[in-house]
Amino acid sequence: MNRENKKRKYDKRYYRTHPCTDAFTCKVCGWPVVSAGAGSSHRNHCPNCLSSIHLDNEPGDRQSGCHGRMDPIGVWVRKNGEWAIIHRCRSCGKVCSNRTAADDNPMKLIALAMRPFGSSGIPAAKIQQMVVSMEH
Amino acid sequence: MKKYRKINQCPSCGWTPSKNQEELPRDHCPNCLCGIHHETGDGLECGGILEPVSVWVKENGHWEVIQRCQLCGKMETAEMTKEDSTIKVLSIIAKPLAMPPFPIERLEDLTRMMGGQGDLGKRGGDRNEP
Repeated sequence: MNRENKKRKYDKRYYRTHPCTDAFTCKVCGWPVVSAGAGSSHRNHCPNCLSSIHLDNEPGDRQSGCHGRMDPIGVWVRKNGEWAIIHRCRSCGKVCSNRTAADDNPMKLIALAMRPFGSSGIPAAKIQQMVVSMEH
Repeated sequence: MKKYRKINQCPSCGWTPSKNQEELPRDHCPNCLCGIHHETGDGLECGGILEPVSVWVKENGHWEVIQRCQLCGKMETAEMTKEDSTIKVLSIIAKPLAMPPFPIERLEDLTRMMGGQGDLGKRGGDRNEP
């Protein structure tokens, strides 16, 4: 176990190849997060509020000194059809993508995907006009 | 500050600005929303094509396109401009909704659990009020 601890400390790619089973409390909503139930061995965001903390520069290296709060800003579909959450760091503005876990809050996920529809970046009247012009 | 380079022809879709279109500092193609990834973390040029993956809404209500580099996988954001193709933007927003990770019928149960009316319109009229 001692050797394993040493490896964890000095190997920069340790968490890329080894599962991270540490439990943590979400710093944003206070949800107690355990690694069980994620359907993956890398739990990197809170399943309740989908927020994360900026720890990595490259996936799994734990080298970032930022430790800012990462807000979920959107979702996208990867080539294999699974969703990934896009996180943006509040303090440094870094954008990165994380796989969704099996027990992520489904309402929150759908709310993220629907977020642009709720704002008026593209007015509803313009969409309606486009649909009408396509029908004729 | 982001560097802008004049895009004469889009490397992804071949779009060129028409003659009467004014010369704007574009960092992405208004037709396919793709861009070119200039700088990596070490200050080197990547040169990969940034493909649009999603759109997010800033606090002030402006939209930004989230792009992902096809070569190195880094995510970048680009401010949406007025000349951007509306259909492309809408299709990017709607793509996750077309491929949900769980059956969309499950939302119906979830909204009912939350006390809302979450039926998808299948049983619109004949649902008996409790």
